[in-house]
Amino acid sequence: MASAASNPAGGVERLVSINVNGRVRRVDVLPQETLAHTLRYKLGLTGAKVACNRGECGACTVLIDDVNYYACSTLTHNVKDRAVTTVEGLRAEDGTLHPVQAAFIQELSPACGFCTSGQVMSAVALLKANPRPTRQEAREAMSGNLCRCGAYDHYLNGVMRASGQLS
Amino acid sequence: MTYMHIGKDFTPPDVEAKVTGAARYTEDFRRDGMVFARLLTSPLPSGRVVSIDASEALAMEGVLGIFTADDLPPSLPPANPALAKDFITYIGQPILAVAAESDLIAENAIEKIKIVFERRPFVTDPLDTLLEGGPDPYPSGNTLVRNASAGAAAAGTTASGTDVGRIKWSLDQVTAFRNGREPVGATFGDEWTYGDVAAEFAQCKTIVEEPFVTIGYPHHSLEPRSGMAYWENGKCYFHGSLQSHTVGHAQLSAMLEIDPANLVFINENTGGGFGSKIFPYPIMAVTGKFSRQLNRPLQMRITREEEFYIGSARSGMQGWLKVGLKDDGKVGAVDVIIVNDAGSGGGGSASSSAEHISIMYQPAAMRFRGVALYTNTTPRGAQRGPGQNEMASVLAPIMDKAAREGGFDRLAVRRANAPRPDAKFGPRQGGLSSSYMPEAIEKAAAMFRWDERVAQPKVTAGNKVRGIGLGMGYHSAGASGYDGLLRIGTDGKIYLHTGVGNLGTYSYAGVLRASAEALQCSWENCVVVYGNSDLNLPHSTYQGGSNTIFTETRSSHVAALDAIRKLKEIAAAELGGAADDYSVGGERVFLTSDQAKGLTFAEAAQKAIDLGGEYSGQVYPEDINATTKRSVEAMKGTGLIGVAKDTLPKEGTAPGFAIAFVEIEMDLDTGKYDITDYTAVAECGTVVHPQGLSQAMNGGGVWGIGMAGYERHVYDSQNGLPANVGFYQAKLPTYLDVPAKMLTAGMDMPDPQSPVGARGIGEPAQGCGAAALMSAISDALDGHLFNRTPVTPDMIVNHVAQNGFNTGDLKTNTF
Amino acid sequence: MPSNDNMPEMSLYQPVQVEDAISLAGTLAERGWLVGGGQDTYGWIKDRAKRPEALIDLNGIESMRGISETTDGIEIGALVTLTELANNSLIKERYSLLSSAAGRVASPQIRNIGTLGGNVAQDVRCWYYRRGLNCYRAGGNLCYADTPEGQNREHALFGASRCVAVTPSDTAPALVALEAQMVIRNAGGERIVAAEDFFVGPDVDILRTTVLRPGDVLTSVRIPAKWANAEFYFEKVADRNVWDFALVSIAAAMRVTNGTIEESRMVAGAVECTPRRLTNVEQAIQGRARNQETADAVASLASQGATPLNYNHFKIPLMNNLVKRALTV
Repeated sequence: MASAASNPAGGVERLVSINVNGRVRRVDVLPQETLAHTLRYKLGLTGAKVACNRGECGACTVLIDDVNYYACSTLTHNVKDRAVTTVEGLRAEDGTLHPVQAAFIQELSPACGFCTSGQVMSAVALLKANPRPTRQEAREAMSGNLCRCGAYDHYLNGVMRASGQLS
Repeated sequence: MTYMHIGKDFTPPDVEAKVTGAARYTEDFRRDGMVFARLLTSPLPSGRVVSIDASEALAMEGVLGIFTADDLPPSLPPANPALAKDFITYIGQPILAVAAESDLIAENAIEKIKIVFERRPFVTDPLDTLLEGGPDPYPSGNTLVRNASAGAAAAGTTASGTDVGRIKWSLDQVTAFRNGREPVGATFGDEWTYGDVAAEFAQCKTIVEEPFVTIGYPHHSLEPRSGMAYWENGKCYFHGSLQSHTVGHAQLSAMLEIDPANLVFINENTGGGFGSKIFPYPIMAVTGKFSRQLNRPLQMRITREEEFYIGSARSGMQGWLKVGLKDDGKVGAVDVIIVNDAGSGGGGSASSSAEHISIMYQPAAMRFRGVALYTNTTPRGAQRGPGQNEMASVLAPIMDKAAREGGFDRLAVRRANAPRPDAKFGPRQGGLSSSYMPEAIEKAAAMFRWDERVAQPKVTAGNKVRGIGLGMGYHSAGASGYDGLLRIGTDGKIYLHTGVGNLGTYSYAGVLRASAEALQCSWENCVVVYGNSDLNLPHSTYQGGSNTIFTETRSSHVAALDAIRKLKEIAAAELGGAADDYSVGGERVFLTSDQAKGLTFAEAAQKAIDLGGEYSGQVYPEDINATTKRSVEAMKGTGLIGVAKDTLPKEGTAPGFAIAFVEIEMDLDTGKYDITDYTAVAECGTVVHPQGLSQAMNGGGVWGIGMAGYERHVYDSQNGLPANVGFYQAKLPTYLDVPAKMLTAGMDMPDPQSPVGARGIGEPAQGCGAAALMSAISDALDGHLFNRTPVTPDMIVNHVAQNGFNTGDLKTNTF
Repeated sequence: MPSNDNMPEMSLYQPVQVEDAISLAGTLAERGWLVGGGQDTYGWIKDRAKRPEALIDLNGIESMRGISETTDGIEIGALVTLTELANNSLIKERYSLLSSAAGRVASPQIRNIGTLGGNVAQDVRCWYYRRGLNCYRAGGNLCYADTPEGQNREHALFGASRCVAVTPSDTAPALVALEAQMVIRNAGGERIVAAEDFFVGPDVDILRTTVLRPGDVLTSVRIPAKWANAEFYFEKVADRNVWDFALVSIAAAMRVTNGTIEESRMVAGAVECTPRRLTNVEQAIQGRARNQETADAVASLASQGATPLNYNHFKIPLMNNLVKRALTV
């Protein structure tokens, strides 16, 4: 693979390797292609949704090196050397749900579900950085994810439950 | 009453897939050879297509074809066409679709298409077209009239039954109306009266007269209305995004001009609809037909901006209201005029708005006059409590003013007028199936501690002031006459079939708990069958208008009763005695007097197959719908079939009511406020699914906050251009614009006309919240009336500064 | 109306040395587009309202990252993200004005990727311009917002010159208040521009909002020690508390000694195409106490000379109020 470093003055090579959910995938990526497009159209990972495609809703949120980003507003060529985690990559190897996923089920956090993947990913990012957030901290950390159904209260309950602060 | 399932939380079958990303929505489906279609939409607000030159696009590598209005049956105004040609009526209206091997190629191809347009005059403010000599949104006029074949004109569909007519007011009338006065002698499209309005006003101690405006806004469901279709062996397989399921199936097959038996409609998950996806929408015809034309699987992706254009929106409303209070605090009379902005299609909801006043305040006499006017803005349709909710929100502060002027506590006025079980409302003075609204008001007031809070000081700190408010929401919440269908398999499982769509409320599963309740079986042994018309679904009600819970617990119940009768008859035939000697429970049918004697459901299902006839669906009731019949036919001989049409008694309107209390802390410097308390109580009969109710009430509250404080259409009247095509300018409320915690509850008192006592609540959940917030904003500003939704920070800052720019300009479709 | 999901075909360069980026920027000139976080890039290009031939992705350039102490203050790489700015202990401790402003940008995900360089270099948000209309700023010869019925609630009170768009950046007023220095490099070398001069109005250049020209790369921002640990006030008023751009914002830095304001910098955002320094307020408060009395006496100076449009009168009391709050909180 020709990395940016070995080809500083030229354009990028299209065939790249990206690490998604712990697997290295070889994929042909257009220079201007967004990560949301690569995941959904080329890697068959449709968990991240494209609801606005302008960084205005959060339905496409994924983790890159454990930090949450809008996949619709990230170039795939920018994640070549980094670890991408999507909602499909959260289960433990034995199939156990991630605590955020389990808590969201228990609290009936999703409504229509279209924003849910993104809500899950932002909650996972939050709890990695801050395992026991206050409700206010959770509210701020989740705030880049719109829910048109208005299930915010239920999602926050889910975050608090996942962090072991709600029994 | 103690239930086994009703009133208990459960895990709906689709939740896990939603949190793992496995839940698939329309755009998540792929098919070998699938092509991508994209839309070219109108750059002008009014006009027609003169010619289309697609030669350059069609010559591009990877471009497969274009699809235009000529490929569809003709459509006449004001029906909302899938693709416009002779009547372009708003910016963003689809003109044609291009299909290509990739979405990027399709987008590139669209840039190469040259269209010659002819422009026509346009209008974005309904009062501008109402004015004599003002521009009309359609060449033939500005308002909808029902023609001879009336009745079929569903908003937002291509169904017709309507024509475009013309209503005009004189300059004096329009000027009076713009300035908040009654337009004397004006013509209306719709009016009704009951009681002696003048006589009742004469007896009123306090009379308040106010103008008002509510601005429409887009649904912006998070999932855009993309579609995917492919054709195999003469059948169309359609992945769509609808709120309803079997209702949609029948209508979509009509749109595709195929026999319903040849349509497989697949829609397990729907990413929000809020009224905009109750029925199939026009663009679905393009998806299905274009796929057939190309003989390729085809995905029609709708972008966010396109979802703004074709995804429907709430009507705007401009009005005048006069309300009188008697000296006992009761509303004596109401006179209301509503001019609706019906966008370029769909209808107004003015009569429903007026009905809200009638039911919530029970005036002794009332007059409504309204006119719905088209404008060259996006088509409007049902949006969560259309009419009722926006009326609730502007009405609340006006009723507060009446209460203050009459010397009453604001809560006391609601108490005095609350709809009781014998309430009558609307032009027909119809009654209710039940009402516990007086009790709900008391419960919510106690939870909120109204009396205590009313007495608290107003100023909190510096330039911060408290405001408290209350609001009520109503929507009719139930119908009847749909079919229930279940099958008990030889594996002993109970397959609960439903044609209810999964719009995100979990009601599709919740209503089936009524079957499990009647059968006294465990939920773990029930399998919910839904979301794919190939799975043999019954004819179920549409999902909209808070309708599902009441309507479908009834059909679910009657299907179970039919199954129970059959189980008992089979047991009696097999084990002796009469059917009535038997009971069901624990997945068995057994002799009531000796429970050891009985059959398991698995055994009974085998017996049903052996017996045939009605027991296994070879024979079925005559009165069930054709869709249900087709499903039963396909299932016959596979188990014990429970199937029936809901013919249970129904009288009057089944209401959904809700009341909310809001406390805000408003910053007078910035016009921003924090909602420091949100308390809402649902009066929706028995609670079926507590978590689901909480979800509905919280979500409705968020929608209410959006209506009262944020969301609105903005159009530039000079060029017909909309400002808020994306989420950013549409201002959907975020986590940080709503309370960190909302408190909600349900009355949990049974409606006698539902076998489990339940009614719906989806729409009132918003209306109460919007109204309560409007009331609190007004209260924070010492009763000031903005008479508009939404109230935005700039309006509050202008008001506080007394700079003369507050409500000087009551208009729809502007900032 | 075109509505697209995909950016059209273009080249992407990912230099890892700043020299390579400068060279590419110089060679490509108007045809190239510098990308930091890209949050004000992809929308423009997806909408096809801007059509660069190539993206120059700066993210691989390590030398443009990091926050370091210098002999006179600190230096912040242009690629430092807004999240880093909001959380950095050095900035929070000494220049909380900037961390507060950075923490109020857009949404958490946008702050995670959005950079300081991008935040100050972003284009205006006038909705007409963003729709791709051929207005003055887009090279045409009319303004849609400054018309009798123009929907101009978010537009300028000051400095209109054909265009009435306002500065959308939350960090820009803070940088002007802190007397930041913008470090710009191009093929010809390096130049340092004061933040106050970095932003330009339509009277100077209607096609751009900063002094950056094709071939220029903003590599870092220096904050002088002068305002370290001063008294600060930042507030942004927006419709929604997430995503939305300011209706009006205020960034104030005040040096208060023995109860009196010795020196101050008061800067308002979203009232003009550039961050608006309120020099008349600064002068009026010099030598006075930071208290309610001073606030009441000077607040109305903030909006002096404002020329409101049809829908933005509210910005006048709002900016006065924000100045008042800066002096009383």
